[in-house]
Amino acid sequence: MTPGRIALALLLVLCTSAPAAAQEAYPSRPITIVAPFPPGGVADLTARPVGVALEKVLRNPVGVVNKTGAAGAVGMQYVATSRPDGYTLLLALSSISIIPEADKLFGRPPAFTVDQFEPLALISADPTILVVRAESPWKTAREFIEDARKRPGQISFSSSGVYGTLHMAMELLQHAAGIKLRHVPYAGAGPALTAILGGHVDALASGPAVILPHIKAGKLRPLAGWGDKRVAALPEVPTFKELGYAEAEFYIWAGLFAPTGTPEPVLQKLRDALRVAVNDSDFKTAMDKLETPIAFKQGEEFRKFFEADARRLAEGVRNVGRIEAK
Amino acid sequence: MLETLQNLYLGFTVALSPPVLLYAFVGCFIGTVVGVLPGVGPLAGISLLLPATFGLNATNAIVMLAGIYYGAMYGGSTTSILMRIPGEAASVMTCIDGYAMARKGRAGAALAIAAVGSYVAGTASVVGLMFLAPPLASFALRFGPPEYFALLLLGLLVLAYMSGGSMLKALTMAALGLLLGMIGIDQMTGYFRFAYGVVELGDGIGVVPVAVGLFGLSEILATAGQAKPPDVIKPRLRELLPSRQEWRDSAMPIARGTVLGFLIGIIPGSAHIISSFVSYAVERRLARRPEEFGKGAVAGVAGPESANNSATSGAFVPMLALGVPSGPIPAVMLAAMMVHGVSPGPLLIKQQPELFWGFIASMYVGNVVLLILNLPLVGLFVNLLRVPYPLLYPGILVFCILGVYAVNNSVVDVWIMLATGVLGYLLRKLDFETAPIVLGVILAPMIEMALRQSLAMSDGHYTILVVRPISAVLLAVGAALVLLSLKPLVSRGLDWRARLALAEKGEEL
Repeated sequence: MTPGRIALALLLVLCTSAPAAAQEAYPSRPITIVAPFPPGGVADLTARPVGVALEKVLRNPVGVVNKTGAAGAVGMQYVATSRPDGYTLLLALSSISIIPEADKLFGRPPAFTVDQFEPLALISADPTILVVRAESPWKTAREFIEDARKRPGQISFSSSGVYGTLHMAMELLQHAAGIKLRHVPYAGAGPALTAILGGHVDALASGPAVILPHIKAGKLRPLAGWGDKRVAALPEVPTFKELGYAEAEFYIWAGLFAPTGTPEPVLQKLRDALRVAVNDSDFKTAMDKLETPIAFKQGEEFRKFFEADARRLAEGVRNVGRIEAK
Repeated sequence: MLETLQNLYLGFTVALSPPVLLYAFVGCFIGTVVGVLPGVGPLAGISLLLPATFGLNATNAIVMLAGIYYGAMYGGSTTSILMRIPGEAASVMTCIDGYAMARKGRAGAALAIAAVGSYVAGTASVVGLMFLAPPLASFALRFGPPEYFALLLLGLLVLAYMSGGSMLKALTMAALGLLLGMIGIDQMTGYFRFAYGVVELGDGIGVVPVAVGLFGLSEILATAGQAKPPDVIKPRLRELLPSRQEWRDSAMPIARGTVLGFLIGIIPGSAHIISSFVSYAVERRLARRPEEFGKGAVAGVAGPESANNSATSGAFVPMLALGVPSGPIPAVMLAAMMVHGVSPGPLLIKQQPELFWGFIASMYVGNVVLLILNLPLVGLFVNLLRVPYPLLYPGILVFCILGVYAVNNSVVDVWIMLATGVLGYLLRKLDFETAPIVLGVILAPMIEMALRQSLAMSDGHYTILVVRPISAVLLAVGAALVLLSLKPLVSRGLDWRARLALAEKGEEL
């Protein structure tokens, strides 16, 4: 009875989110990782293998719950205000530092602040890649930037949404190169990709995994990457850093956080467990299939990465400023 | 042609292998359940079960997820017809005439026609998918924001055909719906609109809570408010089957719905929902007796139910042929492929022929499974109506709340459903129709986004809407429809709306 088994599995998933009372040695009841984005997105697809690997190490059930809404703000706010006992964790993307900054910009009470979270570990960090359609005139990033300088506001790009990750990447580039592009926001990374493939915009910044098949099929041309180093899958594509635009550095990263106030022994246990979990062979295969390299960082190293990233993004948000309707 | 048939043979060897067959069946079964449960739609169902597919191989996973998607389109009609509760957003139109048929004791006929229409549409559109996928996919991608905007404007014209009563009241309700649809983050600037600090309102008001509230809850409240409970409908066995006349009346709507749904479904976006609206409008426009719509016209069930089914196959066209996440559901399915190391892209059909052709063949099989699954269920479901109201309605209420909560784990959604339920009750008492509100809530965010994206593309020039050929054609069709509806003003003849008004007056006198 497979339908029955699936119903049972569903029931189990539902039960894992129910709270238990007793406070004993950590962990003594199921841990929940909150992915603030819908199933199938980067956060969800990273959270699930992390959960499975963590479960093996801790010998304790770890479930993933998608709490979606308002570009991730709903799920992040939920974790920020949940009990800091190590049973509710957050798998966040870079939007964790964008949302509070955007709230500040609009002068509204923030849904959450960055210091409500304790960083546990960085799991992956993929630099975005600038792509244009294969039939477009720009063969190199230099040609693209020069043309954009000549025709300010004429070359268009799609993004995953205003102040979204793909928008921020482009904003950092525009600022670093002193160019102005035309922004057409879409509701998510999927529609943004569809838009460039349909020829409705000229350029897109995107994570490597989703555009690789389209590059291989000859539909899109990569020009440059936002990374510190070149992407392994695209060794011939230079970085903006190499081209002299050092501030154009951006990663689509995924990291694990706990609410601030979680007791130190619990944090330590989680950090140790994560260090073992990322070396699990099943975890490595899962990330391999997603074509997402593991970029594990912890402690001071992660903090430095996170702070530098947050600083660039805060600056990016301020540079965009409030968008006034025309 | 020969090559296609050879490939299809390969596909059937995959699809008829026991494990694939099993997962197709499981997917169809879960899909039917997901469709029947109020609130839980195909997107929520697929999302909930995506993690469960991680342990399967790519073909099994995709076959099962697709089964959930088109299975939900079969199941979605059930509660719409029996209880006026849309199982998912694409079944909203079915609530109107399907429920009216049920009140007349034709619930069995409506369910059977919905199932058969879904089967015809599902199967015919797979043929379309098989032969036309690559050329159609490139055409579909030419639908950018301006084209989408023009299509949505056509969708808005449906409003004119949605209510038999006062046009003023219908348009008032539509305006209310459009206003409700404006709640949430402004996608172009990031401002929160009408959210009052509730972060959950950032994504706007969900269609499903509103539809369940306005249709289902208001119906329950209205029934509870009657002095004497309405008679329990006791269907007899021979009334379960559609009459010869009902078959004849639904044949053409099924055919038109199939073609329309497939063509609209290909377009990137949440097009399967729009397809049912457009089909309803077309049927009403073409009907010999449009005044029967809203009072149990069988074409109003057959058309939209066929359209939403063939739209699901249409949605797979850009996904399979080009690896493009053409809507929320294809996006989840592409993620499922990536989890299994299959990189979706333009080369998918060449690199993964077993997956592609197995998938196609499994859809033929799945549609047969669904027909076999759904037709016998008609008798069972119809018997639900025998349950006395004091037991039936509280039960439905529980399922509505559970279903709406489960989608986002959001209590806010439950409150929205309850509030719109009360609103719907009040509006019914005041003799307003609630369907245009739902349409407004669905269309407002899409129209706004498409229009503002178009203007962002053109740097503020409205000419972009008319210089692009596809959108120009669509706008011209819309203009022609408006002019046609103005004809009675000139020719002084009475159209059906006026005749209906007169007839109703006659009844009252």
